Amino acid sequence: MSLVNFTAREITCKLVYYGPGRSGKTTNLQYVYGRVPESRRGRMVSLATQTDRTLFFDFLPLELGTISGFTTKFQLYTVPGQSYYNATRKLVLQGADGVVFVGDSQARRFDDNLESLQNLQDNLLAQGVDIRQLPVVFQYNKQDLPRDLILSHDEMDDALNFRAVPSYPADALHGTGVFETLRGISELVLKRLAVGSPVA
Amino acid sequence: MRALEPWVVQPLETFLAESGARLTLLMTSSGQVVAQHGFSRSLDVMTAAALGAAIVASTEELARLMGASGFEALVHNGQRQSCLLAAFTTPRGRWIGLVVFGPETSVGIVRLFFDQMVQQLAAVAPREQPQVPMLAENFETELDASLKALFGR
Repeated sequence: MSLVNFTAREITCKLVYYGPGRSGKTTNLQYVYGRVPESRRGRMVSLATQTDRTLFFDFLPLELGTISGFTTKFQLYTVPGQSYYNATRKLVLQGADGVVFVGDSQARRFDDNLESLQNLQDNLLAQGVDIRQLPVVFQYNKQDLPRDLILSHDEMDDALNFRAVPSYPADALHGTGVFETLRGISELVLKRLAVGSPVA
Repeated sequence: MRALEPWVVQPLETFLAESGARLTLLMTSSGQVVAQHGFSRSLDVMTAAALGAAIVASTEELARLMGASGFEALVHNGQRQSCLLAAFTTPRGRWIGLVVFGPETSVGIVRLFFDQMVQQLAAVAPREQPQVPMLAENFETELDASLKALFGR
């Protein structure tokens, strides 16, 4: 849940990048880290295995600026995608204000995307959160791969995006769609805070 | 010192004065900062809170798997600085304290006054939740400008 510091006039929101293993969650954060001015970001922390697979989470704090007189900060987290790390995924998901679901556009990863989305829904429900009440956006990564290997933006939407929430095609390695996605989830989370009601 | 709500300040100040701790961070169980003393850069505070909350959460989960009721506190002893991590319950929910201290004090002293701070926080915490602010009418314009400034598009 967003924390509001009235004395210092600060808002802090927690955004979690979710999705199957190797879909590009860490790559999103690495790209953001490399492109945001140093004065607006903290250190990027990666708790990873020796082969650079996310073990617990990646974490990147960002300062957005002043909105309605409140200094607004984001905490970006990723979860480990591999199915056997579900215990740590649940921990990272606690208190999330918004979720970016990073799907892998490769046709052969279709089932992995569905399984991960179902897992997100289950883990939220276990914490008493209905996914329909939480700001969520989709990012369909690896859209730069040859067309015969991937599903298109529309096909990914048909497969995953039942609620027609905002979705973005991306090539996170080269930055395409990374900021658009972050902008999309930021808007949803902050608008929800402004209105004070759930996002439909 | 910075605190999210004023009622946290007095117990935290007392703890700092009595325990000799160098840095102290109070956070929610999801890693959101409630109060802090001694950290110089706000973005580093968030990182410390995220890591502290993760350590406590994973330790509690480990305890649950082992059939233990949970661990009261974790202490990491370093040569120049040590660190105490402990979760506790307040009327505002479950919080975590992260305390960094040096050889000028001891883990026993820090724990003693930490426990006292927890009791004081429980005693002075208001029962009602703070109101979430309505953001201004020009919220969307300012949001757009901030996003453009940060993301450069």
